[in-house]
Amino acid sequence: MASIDAVAEVTGVVFSILVEVGETVDEGHELMILESMKMEVPVYAPAAGTVSSIRFDEGEVVEQGAVVAILTTG
Amino acid sequence: MNPNPELARRREQALAMGGPEKLSRRRAQGLLDARARIDALIDPGSFSESGLLARSSVEPADRDRTPADGKVSGYARIDGRPVALVSNDFTVKGASSSLTNMRKIAHVKRTATQRGLPLVLLGESSGARMPDNMGSDGMGALLGNDPHQYVRHRETPWVSALLGDCFGSSAFYACISDHVVMRKGACMAIGSPRLVELAMGEKVDRETLGGHQHHASVTGAVDVVVDDDLAALAEIRRFLSYLPSSASEPPPRAEVPEGADEAASTVGDMLPASRTRGYDMRRLARRLLDPGSAYELKPEFGKTATTMLGRLDGHTVGVIGNNPMFKAGALDPAACAKITRFLAMCDSFNIPIVNLVDTPGFVIGTAAERQNAPTRIMTYMTALQMTTVPKLTVIVRKSYGQAYLNMGGGRNSDEVAAWPSAEVSFMDPRFGARIVSPAGASEETLAEVEEQLGRDSEVWGIAGMFAVQYVLEPGETRQWLVDMLRVHGASTPRAMSRRQLAAWPFNF
Repeated sequence: MASIDAVAEVTGVVFSILVEVGETVDEGHELMILESMKMEVPVYAPAAGTVSSIRFDEGEVVEQGAVVAILTTG
Repeated sequence: MNPNPELARRREQALAMGGPEKLSRRRAQGLLDARARIDALIDPGSFSESGLLARSSVEPADRDRTPADGKVSGYARIDGRPVALVSNDFTVKGASSSLTNMRKIAHVKRTATQRGLPLVLLGESSGARMPDNMGSDGMGALLGNDPHQYVRHRETPWVSALLGDCFGSSAFYACISDHVVMRKGACMAIGSPRLVELAMGEKVDRETLGGHQHHASVTGAVDVVVDDDLAALAEIRRFLSYLPSSASEPPPRAEVPEGADEAASTVGDMLPASRTRGYDMRRLARRLLDPGSAYELKPEFGKTATTMLGRLDGHTVGVIGNNPMFKAGALDPAACAKITRFLAMCDSFNIPIVNLVDTPGFVIGTAAERQNAPTRIMTYMTALQMTTVPKLTVIVRKSYGQAYLNMGGGRNSDEVAAWPSAEVSFMDPRFGARIVSPAGASEETLAEVEEQLGRDSEVWGIAGMFAVQYVLEPGETRQWLVDMLRVHGASTPRAMSRRQLAAWPFNF
């Protein structure tokens, strides 16, 4: 068991959250959509795993580099 | 005949480098020494050293304490292919540049160029040797005697690794190399923090002055950042695996991994339904390329575009993609500079170009103008038009305005394909509707105009007049690219470049 951080690549506002805690996802699955400069920008699962926490709610501002969710792998 | 004892003694002395104390201090810091770096880089036992017995020829007192004169040089093989190399030995006078070791470097550089060998420079040096270079006679003797020292026509690939303090030659050669790898903790700058404080009164730490974050994201001078020496050496081998040994050869062709075509058949799933939804073009590119072959350069610099080496059916290609993850994929001045440099490298070494297009245009506004955006856009455009390797373009989604040309639109590529999702126009319909409508037009009129302009941007018009040659289902893209590489002679003498960018600089 290892945990892996899903990190926001851009600064933006959380537009929608596409997964729930406990959900199993593949590598590359879209976890969350941020709105940044009129575009909707996804945060991808960096690896296959189970979502163990989601750190932000819809409408909250996320800074580039922030951990938005944590996955448990293995 | 018995071995000559004097030769044995001198060899032993040279191989001892700066002595056991300095070497063990390095080991304790987790750093490899200059010779261990060579051993870890090359095919085992392939090193043929040139100038082992070279030493200082200026200060008599230095003769016995300058083994190999601080720069280990010679020839070796990497993956069976011959290379020339220089490894800086920081334990000998900080690997400072001296009269003798500059001759050593000039010799392997010359041989590499004449005989078609890649050149590897393992950098860690303090700058020109003091006091040898002090005074006007020191300057006259040491510096400025080689009018070709910093001239390159990209005859063979150069790779530099920044593995410690890199001031002077290690920094300057990195800045004219085709590929630069940096170890975290290394520092590349003109002068050290100490000299900066002495001369400028500015207090600054090594990381801020010339650390990996600075070069990865601010200057773009570094292509890849790694954690340690061994990882840096692996990156050098990886980069060279895509490149020909010299510009007179096509790039080497690799085996094609299993499963490449199946993965690429689903690439269309990666494109979102909404035109305002971003996605990561790097992921899309990886899906099209041979599995595991994507090698992104400068990932933290000019992120609105991605530049990567990769392979398609075993052929080396250079991929340029807009990345809608960042600023909707609009090209900013840093991305333009990154692409220009990449074009010059790929074209100089006979590597075909693949454009993956999804850009609303160039970033506009004061921030871009202050970075001289128009000049950078045109330098990039000129580079593209002077590029004579095969150029293939896939319009995935948006392609607007001048960026349509920069991203290979029209006759700026040998072949252009578009997905049915492509939209091509001079300006995004959202803004175009307001520009073409009379002042005071109602919101209803504007919406109608925008809708019409959106329909006019569909791919069918441009395909009908043959400015796009192919409209493809996304799943057909990989096979089309492979077919076109075959038509245009990738990895054969037919696809050799005229190398019009060979003498272009290395940063823009």
